[in-house]
Amino acid sequence: MKERNLGKRHEVWQHFSRVASFRETIVFGITIGLFVLFSVLSGGKFASSDVIGIMAIAASELGVVVLGVALLMISGEFDLSVGSVSAVGALAGAMLYQLGLNPFLATAIAIGCGICVGAVNGLLTVKFGIPSFIVTLGALMSWRGLVTLVTGGQPLIFRVGETHPAFFSVFQGNFGKVSAPLIWFIVVVIILGLLLHFHRFGNHVFATGGNKEAARSMGINTNKTKLICFMIVGGLAAFSGILQSIRSRGFYAAQGDGMELIAIAATVVGGTSLFGGVGNIVGVTLGLLIIIFLQYGLIMIRVPGFWYKIVLGIIIIAVVIMDKILKQRGKLT
Amino acid sequence: MKELPLAEMRNIHKWYGKVHAVDGVSLTVNKGEILGLLGDNGAGKTSLIKVLSGYHCPDDGEVFIEGKKVRINSPAEASALGIETVYQEQALVDLMSVARNFCMGREPVKWGGFLDKQKMNECMIPLRAMGLSIKSPDILVKSLSGGEKQGAAIARAMHFKAKLVILDEPTRALAVKEVSKTLDFVERLKEANIGVIFITHTLHHVHSIADRFAVMDKGKIVKEIKRDEVSLDELTEVLME
Repeated sequence: MKERNLGKRHEVWQHFSRVASFRETIVFGITIGLFVLFSVLSGGKFASSDVIGIMAIAASELGVVVLGVALLMISGEFDLSVGSVSAVGALAGAMLYQLGLNPFLATAIAIGCGICVGAVNGLLTVKFGIPSFIVTLGALMSWRGLVTLVTGGQPLIFRVGETHPAFFSVFQGNFGKVSAPLIWFIVVVIILGLLLHFHRFGNHVFATGGNKEAARSMGINTNKTKLICFMIVGGLAAFSGILQSIRSRGFYAAQGDGMELIAIAATVVGGTSLFGGVGNIVGVTLGLLIIIFLQYGLIMIRVPGFWYKIVLGIIIIAVVIMDKILKQRGKLT
Repeated sequence: MKELPLAEMRNIHKWYGKVHAVDGVSLTVNKGEILGLLGDNGAGKTSLIKVLSGYHCPDDGEVFIEGKKVRINSPAEASALGIETVYQEQALVDLMSVARNFCMGREPVKWGGFLDKQKMNECMIPLRAMGLSIKSPDILVKSLSGGEKQGAAIARAMHFKAKLVILDEPTRALAVKEVSKTLDFVERLKEANIGVIFITHTLHHVHSIADRFAVMDKGKIVKEIKRDEVSLDELTEVLME
């Protein structure tokens, strides 16, 4: 009887492991655990539709960047400049909205600015062989400084929401009970998920991050692959900044400040390897939810704000240690 | 009429700053021939093969593939010419599946560049033909033994119709059983009329299967010998000189 039960349990486990890896299963468990914990501790407020709606918007705006950061990390590189690039994109958009340019065209140009910044980061990294950590640290500081120089630290308010309500609806409206940023996030999840896991490009990204020399020797242009990843991150960071500025109806100089560390935290918590070659979109999305649950859950149970950073720091280190232990035991790749 | 060599390098020079890593080397490899490229560390073996595999352009000299003069600017160009390089620890990506590794850089796709999973899984046919008992195309390469990894990389080169396979220390860090398996795999390349350059420090591994040896020292070829003309002890002496 006991043996039969064990056999059945093994069968269920095998079936489960076909759809999710061990790592995602743990991250999924933590996500659900945090949701239940904060719901109970806040007396149910955390699970209310209002709070879930607010978290969905915050998660979506941050999420588009997190997905890009994960893609780049899988290819074996870092982008510490996403917060500053999101500010560049938002600032470019705000200036063009103020000039009265068609807002859809202005948005496309602003995203293009993000792609160009990503391309510069990528070219400096692959052509000069400078570690991306250094290149994007420099970019983080210089683009943030430039944004402050251009704006003088003053906000840029625009009225595109009033003059072009259809444009506002596309980026910050509601479709039934679903907010536009959540729809954009889902679109990005689907596109990047397909690209990473089912497209030739995704195979090149994993190969480049997993073993660059093996990938090169098989004719993969690893520099081009990394460059494209940098451009995707730049474009997504700018898009995230634009979404935020449209919601707040203006650009504020501190926008996106500190975003890079939260994005990297969500990516790592979601199981993406800091050394490249490992990661998936489902895990990254769950990692994002953990960060958002922590951010809002601690507020809901009225824990002072600094605890968020303390808990976040501990979780990042704990996840990496757990990853290492499970790897040593052969449970993870 | 004498058959043209599969690959011919004429008077190849390669400098790294002030270091003359390859100093006027001329070398040929024929179809179905295993050439053992021998020499101490720093003798210039790797620099020489990097010219053939597209990692480095020579500073001087010419390369001919089947009699046609070529300039190989990248590993992708080498691959297109039918030259495959299998590095000991760098042939495959450990954290990717066998199927994804097998098709790396030459992925079969359906519309829009999306992977054709069914065709990718067909990699099991050449792998099994090579005698590898890999259970599934989805298992990770890191779960394979060192010899199986070499076998998979060699099967991949054969499947994609390589004309010349360069093996860089293929038996280094392998257990005895795995070495013998790997040497069997290399002989399969010869049977398929594929030219092989076998780089190694371990003379008795290469002596048992190579047709010819080229010994390098200080960037030059100092000796070329046919296997019939040299015993293992004599070959060892040549290297010690």
